[in-house]
Amino acid sequence: MTRFLSSYEGVVSANVISQLRQLGSRLAGRRVVHVNSTREGGGVAEILDWMVPLMRDVGLDAQWEVIEGNSEFYSVTKKFHNGLQGFPVTISSREWQTYREVNEVNAARLRPVLEEADFVVIHDPQPAALLGLCPNRKGKWIWRGHIDISRPTRSVWRGLRPFVTGYDASIFSMCQFAQPLPHPQFLIPPSIDPLSPKNMDLDPEELTSVRNQYNLDPGKPLLVQISRFDRFKDPLGVLAAYRLVQKVQPVQLVLAGGGATDDPEGQEVLDEVLEAAAGDPDIHVLLLPADAHRTINALQRLADIAIQKSTREGFGLTVTEGLWKGKPVIGGDTGGIRLQVVNYHTGFLVNTPEGAAHRIRFLLHHEALRSKMGIRAREFVREHFLLTRQLREYLTLFHILSSQENSSTIYI
Amino acid sequence: MGDFIIQDCTLLTKTSGMFAAINLRELRDRLVTCRQDVLYHHFCETPLVPSFDNPDYHNDFAAWALLQLGDRVLAERLGIINPYIFYDLEKLREQVLDILDERLSEGLFATSCQPGGEFFFTEAVTVVFDTGLRITSPEKLPEAIGRMTNGSIYFHFLEARRRPPVGLDDFSVWLSGFPSHEAWCSALQTVDFVFYSLADLREELVRVLEKGGAS
Repeated sequence: MTRFLSSYEGVVSANVISQLRQLGSRLAGRRVVHVNSTREGGGVAEILDWMVPLMRDVGLDAQWEVIEGNSEFYSVTKKFHNGLQGFPVTISSREWQTYREVNEVNAARLRPVLEEADFVVIHDPQPAALLGLCPNRKGKWIWRGHIDISRPTRSVWRGLRPFVTGYDASIFSMCQFAQPLPHPQFLIPPSIDPLSPKNMDLDPEELTSVRNQYNLDPGKPLLVQISRFDRFKDPLGVLAAYRLVQKVQPVQLVLAGGGATDDPEGQEVLDEVLEAAAGDPDIHVLLLPADAHRTINALQRLADIAIQKSTREGFGLTVTEGLWKGKPVIGGDTGGIRLQVVNYHTGFLVNTPEGAAHRIRFLLHHEALRSKMGIRAREFVREHFLLTRQLREYLTLFHILSSQENSSTIYI
Repeated sequence: MGDFIIQDCTLLTKTSGMFAAINLRELRDRLVTCRQDVLYHHFCETPLVPSFDNPDYHNDFAAWALLQLGDRVLAERLGIINPYIFYDLEKLREQVLDILDERLSEGLFATSCQPGGEFFFTEAVTVVFDTGLRITSPEKLPEAIGRMTNGSIYFHFLEARRRPPVGLDDFSVWLSGFPSHEAWCSALQTVDFVFYSLADLREELVRVLEKGGAS
């Protein structure tokens, strides 16, 4: 879907759009290349799907490149993902070699584009080695780490760090995620696209259709967790919380998520969840295709309470999505969820299945408060977590990196 | 008096390179040596940072004392500080350190935060640009303010107080060149801006000007 900034004037005010155009006009024609490891599935692909066209719309010459890898490469980078988020993993010298080799192959293909760009944004560890493989680069290179690397497995970070240190700057979603690096580390939380199929308004008929399609009972409160089947999302913990609530009142649970092409571990976790949920007709475990955005949207809108009980989280875009749909969110007390979920205002932070169960019961019991929190949640996202804010911060970063001034205030 | 030049600004936060603090003593020790930009950021730039505006306390130190250390006394003492009355940031630093030292002297306040609740010292880079828009007469000011971005509101009404003439917002300075609009200057100075988000502050400024009227 081609996106234009003007489409967003009905969601944010005209002055927000005008500000972006002002920032963009001063960067007109500058070449920006984003590189990541998957075209679809996962938060990064979703962000680039809107960011690249909107950067073009404000005047930049932006493009999106995806590195290509084999299953061995993705197994290694999945280990990176887990290891950087603190899960104990060991990466063999053969696996490091695979990582370098796949990056070399991609560098051979992408080098002309990357070396000519004014700004190159490398997303996550998968393509991080490209920097060292583009020795004649002209522009500024930025490494964008989307995941929580606050407590990485040291051996993984020690191995990856040399690939990252040479960048001109890095971006993290939160200061908690940053690791000591010899360059400026900027903080840019991600955001959502309010007009994407996953977040746009839907007709009531479509909601009813989805409710019927998945045999959801309109008479029972609905809890929904949308996320990949990943251990850090703690789907088994959500099931445990659901069971605690169900002891005192009828409730139904949807655990729904898509797969991502760079996540080979998903099936294993899904199997564990299916086994744990077997035999309970009020638990709906849905493995959705990567393009099931409207279904996810509908499930979030049908929910009474959105849940994201992660034990580790980068930012937690599904939290933002739930808040945008006017739902209070019960979220794990970790990572970027803390930026979004504020007790009694936009939802509740919890640490255990018991805590989640308690807050679910609290919110189901206080319907008026739940509604009020939902309204506040939506306005909070409108102000801070829509794509317009994230685009503004990227443009601001490009201005900062272009400036010769080393000052806390830059006049352009 | 010339036209009012509408500026806009955007802000990007970055890490300071300092170690995070896990308790009051560490917070105190870091504050002794942190750059003024860090101090300024945690007191004054919070309205432009994408996070939930804490409804109780409007500087990061007070919010941290409350939410992560559970120290309500300290949060109250820090929360009432108005950073804009300190034209010299070193004086602000002295004030904060004085409060922290007083609290430390009161007894056993070595409580550490939970893992993940550390205080991270950050700072920001602000990019300022001319929007090309001008306000040609005071009568057009309320309408123009109503159309401004949060960045413009921040730059002209909050950040302005740190620029000469210190302590005054840009709107008041400009209006002071129009004796017929003295009442508007006074009205603007009654706005207790600490308790508004930038979006709410914009509405309040328009309301105050429309209510105040020109004398």
